[in-house]
Amino acid sequence: MAAPQLVAMPRPGRSRLGEALARMKRNRIGFVLCALGPVLALFALIRIYPIAETIRLSFFDYHITRRRTPFVGLQNYLYLFKDSAFHDALVNTIAFSVLAVVITLLIALAIAILLRSIEKAAPAFELLFYIPVVTPWVPASVIWKWIYDPTHGVINYFLSFFGVPRLGWLLDPKLIVLALVVVSVWKLVGYFVVIYGVGLRAIPEEVLEAASLDGCNAWQKICHIVLPLLRPIILFTVVTCTIICFNVFAPVYVLTASSQGAPAYDLKVVVGEIYSNGFVYYHMGYAGAQCVVLLLFVMSLLVVQFLAFREK
Amino acid sequence: MFEERWVRNTAWAACIVVALFTVVPFILIIGTAFKTAAEINAWPPTFLPVAPTLENFAEILGNTPFPRYIANTMLISMASTGCIMITSSLAGFVFAKYKFPLRGAIFMVILATATIPLEAYMVPLYIMVYRVNMLNTYAALIFPLTIMTFGVFFMRQVIISIPDELLEAARIDGAGEWWIYLRIILYLSKSGLMAIGVFAFSQAWANFMWPLVVVSTGDMYTTELGLAVYQRAFYTEYGPIAAGAVISIVPMLVVFALLRRHIMQGIATTGLKA
Repeated sequence: MAAPQLVAMPRPGRSRLGEALARMKRNRIGFVLCALGPVLALFALIRIYPIAETIRLSFFDYHITRRRTPFVGLQNYLYLFKDSAFHDALVNTIAFSVLAVVITLLIALAIAILLRSIEKAAPAFELLFYIPVVTPWVPASVIWKWIYDPTHGVINYFLSFFGVPRLGWLLDPKLIVLALVVVSVWKLVGYFVVIYGVGLRAIPEEVLEAASLDGCNAWQKICHIVLPLLRPIILFTVVTCTIICFNVFAPVYVLTASSQGAPAYDLKVVVGEIYSNGFVYYHMGYAGAQCVVLLLFVMSLLVVQFLAFREK
Repeated sequence: MFEERWVRNTAWAACIVVALFTVVPFILIIGTAFKTAAEINAWPPTFLPVAPTLENFAEILGNTPFPRYIANTMLISMASTGCIMITSSLAGFVFAKYKFPLRGAIFMVILATATIPLEAYMVPLYIMVYRVNMLNTYAALIFPLTIMTFGVFFMRQVIISIPDELLEAARIDGAGEWWIYLRIILYLSKSGLMAIGVFAFSQAWANFMWPLVVVSTGDMYTTELGLAVYQRAFYTEYGPIAAGAVISIVPMLVVFALLRRHIMQGIATTGLKA
């Protein structure tokens, strides 16, 4: 709106106006540099550089207290294939992630769809589902550690009504993965209910009404209208949830064994291995190689997501 | 969306079951925090405390360094929130309202790194802090939490909807760019900025991995770290641990309850941040 007015101004004013415009332009360039410069510098320092440096480190035998950090080529990566602890960690993390992602998202999707048929009560339910989402991982795991306790735990008490003997949920290498899945589903399901809710609300009501008039039942509407329309959101949630689960660490730290003798099985996960190699034994080059595995995994998921969205 | 009676009935049943699943553990921990030691160890377990007591809170606040952890976490979370609100709104403003070379490319790089978790690049970050001799300091704890890629993206979305004419009018009246940022942009985007502040605060509050890595002495512990370490060391002291867990959850609930509308809106409009 302002521009045409300026052009229409009488000639004598123009040179002064030109000067003013030039000054404004200089101001803007100065502002962009002053405002964005520090932010980008910070961003480079705490995101870009560490990511690049992680990759570089993985080719060195880096130990924080040693002077010499010789280049070792692919040795750290070759060691990844021999390291049985890392294999265990990878297997556990993948098994946990698959279970946690599938269960979380199936429950969240079903609940989000069902919530749309009880529209009035939906906000109240969403609020209740969201309580664990705002609970940080550490207290969340503390809550569950107590629920899983073999002697005092509520789960065993509850199962005893069905004649199930007391189970050592955190002592058994298989059960502890399940226990971890339950904690994660508890923590994450509310978030994805809200996300699916956003997607479902974007589906025009008329489409579903038209389907009803054509004699579709609820199940047909879900399979042929709702799910296809939700595809991009489902893809997004699968990627997000997988990244969250693959990085699982805090609940593992709380729920598993400790040196002080809390009774539990010592479950290995990828981030736990990075932590102990990097910050307990200070084998930072090797930890770097493990980080690169994590990085590649996350990046490949993002690429899949990017390509899928691009097709649309 | 669905009017059939059986769908509605299933919906009620399923939602109540899931709601019980999400809420019951939560009530259990609050109940435990107010139970006496004898009641906690009783079998069968009780759901709500029979004789509520504050002794667990007195124990953890009086006889452990937990108050110090809370103060540390408060300080770190507030500093981080302040930094993120400033950096997100500034960068968001510039990306939304100014044209400069490589703008698209820089923005894409920022977005691309948004989902890369801290765990994947914390080793060099640690080495960096170690090199400048800043391990075990507040600065080290706050440092990786001074920017939030999602915040930049979100603030850009919010600020883009502020009409350009408003900024032009201010410039014609002689306003400088900083004045525009401080008086117009911040004022008109304050609701979005609040949402980012909430995210930043809860992210810093709930942070566990980074404190675990850089903190080495008890006086620098955060509540999350203190709680995790304490429960590993004194596993059987359920009461004080439950009280500690409640203390670390309550600020999150308060913040969430106060700003629920902003948060839900934030999730709804730009979709998305755990």
